[in-house]
Amino acid sequence: MRSLLLAAVLSFPALAHAGDIAVTEARVALAPPGARTLAAYMVVANAGAAPRALAGVRAEGFAMAHLHHSMEKDGVAMMAAMDQIEIAPGGSVAFAPGGLHVMLMGPRKALAVGNEVVLTLIFADGAEIAVTAPVERIDAGS
Amino acid sequence: MIRLLAALLLAAAPAAAQVQGVLLDDPVEMPSFALDGTATTRFSDADLQGRWTLVMFGYNSCPDVCPFTMQNLEAAWSETSLRVRPDNIPQVVFVSVDPERDRETVADYAVFFHPDFLGVTGRQEDIDRLVEASDSFYRLMPPDSSGYYEVQHSSSVLVIAPDGTLRAKLQPPFDPGRTAEFLSMLQIQYRREMIQ
Repeated sequence: MRSLLLAAVLSFPALAHAGDIAVTEARVALAPPGARTLAAYMVVANAGAAPRALAGVRAEGFAMAHLHHSMEKDGVAMMAAMDQIEIAPGGSVAFAPGGLHVMLMGPRKALAVGNEVVLTLIFADGAEIAVTAPVERIDAGS
Repeated sequence: MIRLLAALLLAAAPAAAQVQGVLLDDPVEMPSFALDGTATTRFSDADLQGRWTLVMFGYNSCPDVCPFTMQNLEAAWSETSLRVRPDNIPQVVFVSVDPERDRETVADYAVFFHPDFLGVTGRQEDIDRLVEASDSFYRLMPPDSSGYYEVQHSSSVLVIAPDGTLRAKLQPPFDPGRTAEFLSMLQIQYRREMIQ
């Protein structure tokens, strides 16, 4: 199953480019039954000479999508909405489980492994990049 | 004796920067409570007797941390299962502190991470008794314009011994090897205590 999934990922790499911005490893975590919120992860790299700022995201098939950051403070797990995420020139920002994530709210239908979600990343300068993120079962340590 | 175990744990983890659990100075009695998942899955203080139990607090509308924690806990639990006696494999229980939204989904939610995991919720007073007795925490945040609300909650996992008392708390990130080491040491310590 895992090698099959890997093959699928390799043959359809979730890679999007727009100018100096490259988005890789875009994926949506398969959600437990009945979940009304899902999370998407990716790596956004800025190859340009100027800093860029991610300011928002839209997700097809969802009522809303937000840039979020999970954190732990004094032993309490909480989340914060991010208005803007800076990406330094030559730098990258990783959205990964337990930290930065795109919170996807209000799915119009249940998603299964193999489905795809089109995410549109909106930058502070008005640029938009569409990314196709496959739904994957994300296991710990993989 | 607790100090001795702490010393052993330190010795066992030379790279000791990452602490996976905290031992309580004294065992803490758990209150009476009754929670349920489906019509047939129940979880009450009586279920704490005679087996080890790991209790995690959370909520189903938590897109990132709760699934991440459950996956890490599943990996740590699997590793523990390989190391301890079969009758010492802990029962993992996910307690939703958001019964309003999670009553219908909490049982399936837990099973999604492992078929043997139990997901329950219940009346607020039962949840609160368990939360307060274990010195845990949760808070429902004000809803946004869409009606969605976040729930802040303790990130540590309760470790309850077969005599029904709280003995320790596991702390993220639940590194599988170190968490299994922590739990098996705690169990050895517990058995010695029971013999004395």
